[in-house]
Amino acid sequence: MTNWYYFWLFDFAVAGTAFTVILAIVAVRGFADLMSMFRQLDEEQKK
Amino acid sequence: MNFHAIDWIIVVLYLAGTMAAGLYGKRYVTGLGDFLVAGRKLGTFIGVATLAATEIGTITFMYNAQLGFTAGFSSFIVGLISGCVMIFIGKTGFLVKKMRAMGIMTVPEFFEQRYSRRLRLLTGILVAIGGILNMGVFLKVEGTFLLLISGVSRDYLKEMMTGILILEVLYTVLGGMVSIVITDFIQFVFLGIGTVLITGFTIYRAGLDNMFHAVSTNRGLAGFDPILNSDFGWGFIVFQVLLWLAVDTCWQTTAMRTFSTKDPETSGKVLVWTGFIFLGRGMMPMLWGIGALAMLGPHVDSLEAMPVMIAKILPVGVLGLVTAGMLAATMSVNSSYLLGWSSVIAQDVVGPARKEPLSQTAQIRLNRVTNLFVSLFVWFWGVWYTLPGPVYFYLNMTGTIFLAGAFAAVTGGLYWKKANTVGGYSAMLAGAAGTVGFFFMKLPVNYAGVLSFALAAIGMIVGSLLGGSNKRAVGKIA
Repeated sequence: MTNWYYFWLFDFAVAGTAFTVILAIVAVRGFADLMSMFRQLDEEQKK
Repeated sequence: MNFHAIDWIIVVLYLAGTMAAGLYGKRYVTGLGDFLVAGRKLGTFIGVATLAATEIGTITFMYNAQLGFTAGFSSFIVGLISGCVMIFIGKTGFLVKKMRAMGIMTVPEFFEQRYSRRLRLLTGILVAIGGILNMGVFLKVEGTFLLLISGVSRDYLKEMMTGILILEVLYTVLGGMVSIVITDFIQFVFLGIGTVLITGFTIYRAGLDNMFHAVSTNRGLAGFDPILNSDFGWGFIVFQVLLWLAVDTCWQTTAMRTFSTKDPETSGKVLVWTGFIFLGRGMMPMLWGIGALAMLGPHVDSLEAMPVMIAKILPVGVLGLVTAGMLAATMSVNSSYLLGWSSVIAQDVVGPARKEPLSQTAQIRLNRVTNLFVSLFVWFWGVWYTLPGPVYFYLNMTGTIFLAGAFAAVTGGLYWKKANTVGGYSAMLAGAAGTVGFFFMKLPVNYAGVLSFALAAIGMIVGSLLGGSNKRAVGKIA
């Protein structure tokens, strides 16, 4: 039981850390992607 | 009432901001490609935000917390499989890169290019039935969550469901995929912050030691070992691997995100990043369910335990912020699902059934009309239908109605030269037939799930071998 518990705790730690780090990265770089998408859609509308 | 004035202000400000952003997207919709796949302009990070926001909703938190409450730490196996399978697909490009390279907008379109127009129609019908039944329970579960967390009376469930539906229909119908991408980004940030906050408060208030003791006392070894747990076992694990392979490649709302990326390589990167998020998407709310078991005991309703606990542990202000995050999750999932399933009806059921092709304007109008009809059905289904067991199992099996057959037919169609239309029909019908055991004969989800995928694979192989020559070979489409 204890071995399973530590196994799941390790998995949870990896999952929680990955979630938090990716959330931070995507929040910053996703905004830049969004602006780039708007620019491209604007350019296509002007054509 | 659990909410204070500051909590209501945060929620209302959030809703107003998201609606404004969603309506802003309308100016960019000039054609069907903009409406359904955002003009295929998604970069990696906005792709991750929109895919993650689409597949993380209040419904996701509720069913995962319910699994955590009933199965303890064993439930983590579901989160582990969903994340690892998505990372595998992103790394290898299995199915998704070839489908993205075909330039299709919906999964059933693949069936016309590879098999036949009539098989596309059948697939469209099965996709719509499975998808809409799947979404049918969302509003009720989400409405229940919001009432419990805010402390508003349960008598207002129908009003809450109506309110959620009106908001999401408004900006989905008006702006299509461009609106959804904008709001998904805002919602991903909000729901992500909400998820991290609730996890932190749950660990702080419930305590990991207490959670361990609650699971060992109430669930025994089955609360830690998924093989020993009667709800899971090896059959369930095999089913989950197959199901998540199918979800990540053939599930309309997920596929629409990979089809919306700017190139096939970007779709692979999006899936790898989102796969890591999926590990947390499963395990974090499961831990909330375990926390609820530790704090409230085993005799609370398994689905309602998590929101009741959250309302108890979060301080004023944080409760409003977290509820805004949950509302964000609700709106992003529901709007994407509405767009996904209504686009299948418009593109793959009504479209192929007509002799004359529709103009782009007529197609967008048709998408909007089907959107409204799907919304109404979801509302009535939510009010009328009573779930037969855990929400997660119901969602698995409604999805499997078409996923088992679609996965066999897409895999065969892309990687096996002998795959043909007869095989495609056999796979779709046999896969759907396998789910009958769950809905009408009370077959456990693990048996019914594996049976559906096995029948679909057998249908694909036997049907193709008996079906004669193939007119549309692999090399001609991919």
